[in-house]
Amino acid sequence: MSLLNVKDLKTSYGPVNVLAGVSFTVEPGETYALVGESGSGKTTVIRAIAGLAPAQEGSVKFDGQEIRGASERTLRPLRKDIAMMFQDPVGSLSPRLTIGSLITEPYRIQGMKDRDLDAEAKRLLEMVNLPAHFASRYPYQLSGGQARRVGVARALALEPKLILADEPTAGLDVSVQGELLNLLNDLRERLGLAMVIITHNLNVVRHVADRMGIMYLGRLVEEGTTEAVFHDPRHPYTRCLLSANPEPDPDARLERIALKGEPPSLLKRPSGCEFRERCPFAQEICTRTPQWEVDNGHGLRCLAPLHEGRAA
Amino acid sequence: MAKSRSELGQIIHGVARDPLGLMGLIIVGTIVFCAVFAIWIVPYDPVAMNIKDRLQGPSAAHFLGTDQLGRDTFSRVVMGGQVALKVALPAVFGAMAIGLTLGMIAGYGPKWLDNLLMLFFDTIRSFPTVMFALAVVALVGPSLQTVVLVVMATSIPTYGRVARTQTLTLRNSEFILAERSMGASMKRILGVHMLPNIVGVLAVLAAMDIPTVIALEAGLSFLGLGVKPPTPSWGALLKDGYSLIRQTPWLVVGGGLPIILATLGFTFLGESLRDVVDPKLRKQR
Amino acid sequence: MSDTLLEIDRLSVDYETARGDLKALRDISFDVRKGEIVGIVGESGCGKSTLISSILRLTAPNTRFRQGEVRFKGEDLLQLPERKMRNLRGADISIVFQDPMQTHNPVLSIGQQMLDIQHRSKTSKPEKRTRAAKMLGAVGIPDPEARLDQFPHEFSGGMRQRIAIAMALMSEPDLLIADEPTTALDATLEVQIIERLQELQQEFDCAILFISHHLGVIAELCDRVVVMYAGAVVESGEVREIFHDPKHPYTRRLIDCDPGHIKERARVLPTIPGEVPDLANLPGGCIFRDRCDQAMARCASEVPPLAQLKEGHHAACWLNHKEAAE
Repeated sequence: MSLLNVKDLKTSYGPVNVLAGVSFTVEPGETYALVGESGSGKTTVIRAIAGLAPAQEGSVKFDGQEIRGASERTLRPLRKDIAMMFQDPVGSLSPRLTIGSLITEPYRIQGMKDRDLDAEAKRLLEMVNLPAHFASRYPYQLSGGQARRVGVARALALEPKLILADEPTAGLDVSVQGELLNLLNDLRERLGLAMVIITHNLNVVRHVADRMGIMYLGRLVEEGTTEAVFHDPRHPYTRCLLSANPEPDPDARLERIALKGEPPSLLKRPSGCEFRERCPFAQEICTRTPQWEVDNGHGLRCLAPLHEGRAA
Repeated sequence: MAKSRSELGQIIHGVARDPLGLMGLIIVGTIVFCAVFAIWIVPYDPVAMNIKDRLQGPSAAHFLGTDQLGRDTFSRVVMGGQVALKVALPAVFGAMAIGLTLGMIAGYGPKWLDNLLMLFFDTIRSFPTVMFALAVVALVGPSLQTVVLVVMATSIPTYGRVARTQTLTLRNSEFILAERSMGASMKRILGVHMLPNIVGVLAVLAAMDIPTVIALEAGLSFLGLGVKPPTPSWGALLKDGYSLIRQTPWLVVGGGLPIILATLGFTFLGESLRDVVDPKLRKQR
Repeated sequence: MSDTLLEIDRLSVDYETARGDLKALRDISFDVRKGEIVGIVGESGCGKSTLISSILRLTAPNTRFRQGEVRFKGEDLLQLPERKMRNLRGADISIVFQDPMQTHNPVLSIGQQMLDIQHRSKTSKPEKRTRAAKMLGAVGIPDPEARLDQFPHEFSGGMRQRIAIAMALMSEPDLLIADEPTTALDATLEVQIIERLQELQQEFDCAILFISHHLGVIAELCDRVVVMYAGAVVESGEVREIFHDPKHPYTRRLIDCDPGHIKERARVLPTIPGEVPDLANLPGGCIFRDRCDQAMARCASEVPPLAQLKEGHHAACWLNHKEAAE
């Protein structure tokens, strides 16, 4: 049984369909990356899983238990097993509490007052390679990288089975980005954590994720192992995303595939394949609506998929 | 790096650096000191009558002279300060506490509750304070407690609105979202995470509100709706002095001057406090 | 020499704070020639914000210019009266900022703002409008005539940034300063903006000072690169030299850390351990010493000068002088 099973998740805010049916699974100990640009809905997915955003239809099963639309009472015991890390490292820390209080907050919320909270704080700080005296500091005294590690420490407090990470490397300098990713990899191996990471940074995905899903306008358009997606992307959007990464080499000649225009408004979804208007490989057949098809563990929503980078 | 000063110490230091703030601090400090130690400062019993010595001008024996019943004006002024603070402090802080609680609930709770509370606040605010006081006094009779209650009730909406706005703003911030993701109850979110961030703003409002309340109490006493005689109040002094102004102007001085000084002092203090607290709040975000 | 547009000559800038002087820029020297694109690579705390605000003379009240000159077309901007400085800003020197969501005045239409910028021009209002529409078209905004009357919130982040570029280029400046213009944008938008900048630069022949911590973008866009670390220039040279033959350990490590070039999944990613030093409490000697894995004894006691290693390639590192010492 999968640890997390998201099926056909739909969310609308009034007339705007932010999520138009998202499905994926995450196995215990696996890292799954949800990739997409602003407006793709990836943040909404994660928040819906954490119970912070509404989802009107679909199912989210954690360890077999349905949590979509569940009451706070049902969700409360599960808060131990699902922890979330937020995008703004300093902003996600309550400004008037000390770091020590912040990372032991989960214990307090769950009513575990019998634990020695000072000792737990020390243990958690050590786990994320921060010195023990940080426990008496305040969020505004921390650098972005340090604050992120506090966020990790807090997420680990109750030994969760699943961590949801929202853009874990956003805003970090390149020289410290590696530190955080190495830490996540480390902890994953030691604790057997599963993770769902959302990001628009493909470079990060390559080094932390086992599987990845590409989202566009509230739907998954491609899904597979990280290897497979990077080496043989089938959806034109995936190819465009991959080619949009400039390399730190002035002589690199990337075959850049340019996307036309801007993402369409969610209020005026294009007919047929929603990517059609911007797709450099669009064909006649794309005026029809593509279905999600899975072939050998690789999922795709495209009527004219690419093979080895060329149009079929 | 260990904090070299407590937060309160830092705030006081910041206020004292501003010349107006320092003045405010001194004036308010003096008033509070006199109010607390009134009993030991007053040269005479403020309610002791001595008809023989009535309506005297200032002298060595009576710094501000005496009133129509021979009571020492200076002593009445000092005791009046105690009365003013006895009304202002409970009224303001009571209103702040209640307004804060209701405001946070309005800002964070369900929409229908918010609408209900806003309706409640707006209703109170639409009553002119004096008419409200008249009504209450007619029902209950004039006394210090009545004044405190009237003033408190009419101040609650102001604090409530500010607390509500702050709560609405903070509600969507990332750290509140993080707390919710950990399953924190509404009580915890409001009490541990929202309250410390909102109290600062309200405290500044309260400091600026105290002179208003003092003036309000004086006004009510002037109309005879406030504290019962012979309890000295600055407003009562003004009332007596107003009709006796040809015989002795010193009652009016004794009643009016402290009100002016208190207003200036608290206002300077409050504004300076606001300047110190505001950028700090922003920096700590 | 006459085609040197901007010359930063041994610039040192401090911030006076309660904790002491923050040495934000120390002995910064580099230049920008006409029509060239110079990239400034640096991470948090490297001093790039101070550098920009010093060039534009829009500095905080506690800024102290300790030494050095900022020469624009031969004139030292630091000595210029404010009136003349104002004439330069927005005309000869323009700037595009990082956050497209905060760049524009939310209550004025884009057209009004683009007309405002042309306040120095003597042309008529309809002519100014036409020019504004033309610039919007040049940056790829569809249907520019109509969109002039729209407000900033009606445009997406990517479009707002393009509008900001259009506004900056309207006066045909000699120098465009771009402060992390693509950091807040998604990768596909970033690429669009970069390509647009390249086209416009050719068309208007302006020089660009491009600040970013994104190495890939720098490699693609820039002719020459200046690498900054904690307030000092540690290396500068042509883009190929910098990326293929870096002469400073920080540059080498920085390039290593960029995951863009690591093609296969790496279990452990390279990092630069340690933290940027406190600018109010500088260590003696080389600023990078504490985090450098090749530090020698000399590095702790003497600050290495920014020495020319070959034509156009400078680096501040004692390792390059080892041969001379032996």
